Amino acid sequence: KMADEQQETSQGEMESECVNCLAYDEAIMAQQDRIQQEIATSNPLVSDRQDLSVLHGEYAEEDTIYQLKIKDLHKKYSYIRKTRPDGNCFYRAFGFSHLESLLDDSKELQKFKAVAAKSKLDLVNQGFTEFTIEDFHNTFMDLIELCEKQPALAELLGSFNDQSVSDYVVVYLRLLTSGYLQREHTFFHHFIEGGRSVKEFCQQEVEPMSKESDHIHIIALAQALNVPILVEYMDRGEGGTVNHHVFPEGSEPRIFLLYRPGHYDILYK
Amino acid sequence: MENKYNLKSPAVKRLMKEAAELREPTEHYHAQPLEDNLFEWHFSVRGPPDSDFDGGIYHGRIVLPPEYPMKPPSIILLTPNGRFEVGKKICLSISGHHPETWQPSWSIRTALIAIIGFMPTKGEGAIGSLDYTPEERRALAKKSQDFCCEMCGCSMRTALLALSPNSDHRPADPQAQQLAQQINFKAESSTSGASRDKASETDRQNDGEESSTSGGQNEERVAQAEQIETAPAPAGEAAPVPAAPPTSRPLSPRQRRAQNQNRQQNQPLRRPTFPAFPAAAAQPDGSHTGSAVLIVLLSLALAALVFRRIYLAQEYKFDYEL
Repeated sequence: KMADEQQETSQGEMESECVNCLAYDEAIMAQQDRIQQEIATSNPLVSDRQDLSVLHGEYAEEDTIYQLKIKDLHKKYSYIRKTRPDGNCFYRAFGFSHLESLLDDSKELQKFKAVAAKSKLDLVNQGFTEFTIEDFHNTFMDLIELCEKQPALAELLGSFNDQSVSDYVVVYLRLLTSGYLQREHTFFHHFIEGGRSVKEFCQQEVEPMSKESDHIHIIALAQALNVPILVEYMDRGEGGTVNHHVFPEGSEPRIFLLYRPGHYDILYK
Repeated sequence: MENKYNLKSPAVKRLMKEAAELREPTEHYHAQPLEDNLFEWHFSVRGPPDSDFDGGIYHGRIVLPPEYPMKPPSIILLTPNGRFEVGKKICLSISGHHPETWQPSWSIRTALIAIIGFMPTKGEGAIGSLDYTPEERRALAKKSQDFCCEMCGCSMRTALLALSPNSDHRPADPQAQQLAQQINFKAESSTSGASRDKASETDRQNDGEESSTSGGQNEERVAQAEQIETAPAPAGEAAPVPAAPPTSRPLSPRQRRAQNQNRQQNQPLRRPTFPAFPAAAAQPDGSHTGSAVLIVLLSLALAALVFRRIYLAQEYKFDYEL
């Protein structure tokens, strides 16, 4: 009975407070912010490189499906670098992993720089507003130029853990993904569910921050920047082995990502 | 203003650029930051032609978060218009009410175009939305020209460039149209609060949100959720969240179109065809009275419960003593 009453009391209070319903909306937003903050304090945007064996500890010992698959993963990889699970992990993992690999490959770095430099013009020609995208592009180019100076890895890692720099890179990679999908819409519209146009899909699932990535995002970004990506898929499926997929198919992958439902991390041989 | 802000801040950099881009008023919109605050802007937009807002010029505030453009602006109308509540944050997928759909490559200009494009769409009970009759909206449109903003000193008569006869009737190309459609779609599908992703982190986060019940706001939210679920309870009806707009307010699109056509085609019929007008005009006040009455009733019910409880407790005590 007491519980009933308390409930009614709280409803009554809600009632009067919620005459202006923004209180409700703002409470949700504040709560989402808090959750984001919790995630943020426990996970850096991009972590240090860790031994792959840390994965064993993340699953129960009797969870044989995952334990077997982690063993299988050990056959090919030795290290993992984790990213924050904030919905932007694919882009952040991709961005960091690729620039890291270019630190000691100046020839490839120059090629990549040329592609990246030209990419803004492609977007503008497609109708993206120049003054709204140029800050994101500039940040991306700044990071590439940083890599040209062959800095210590810690410096690149620092940039990727600086929220505003890191997020700007994510925005630009999202724009590139969106731009490529829209340029090739005649091909990609076959793969979009829900009767949406490619443009609608991009505006709902690609360009907003925190929207997660699927095959279609990965293939588009890989092709937009000409950087083949290999993804190891580790899920509850039977079989004891981890399946992988290369985007685009048949190419020689430059970066390796680990996918677990809803999340991407970086793998190292 | 230049000295006051950290020019290295991405938000400041971006807002300076936007202020420069929007410096000159156009025929359809204008927005500038307040003199002493780069993060608060005032804007004026022209009501879209071929709508009930034709001839109206509407003024409002845009509040930018420090994380802009990573987080969306909040938009607040200051001129009564019959579509958006005055002084309340507007619920557009482009505004702070739906941070999950905001795109960092959008700008204040995008937001202005979205407002214009969104005006003729139906409110359908979304937060901060109104569904006034065409007549009321027309009257407000006419009156809107007299509005003068005390804060920025801007008069609606001179806020925008005058429309010239051969000027473009659309605020900005098909882009605006498209944007408005997209926004419409979003606003309809997400009236019940945060929209959810499929099998995703967002879901996991939401789960976490629901299971962790520490903190006042948490309980508030749970209570609110219960309120919504127990729809038949009086509390549910009074909560303005996703509740359908009360009674006679919204006209079906067909009705509205029919009315519009009538008006355009034969003027003399005008008066007799709108018997519903006075009733609808009284509506906004009516709904306020309604919720006030409900609140009073609920408080009375609560008081009764509390008294009963006290009474019961005392009785119990007496019994015990005797």
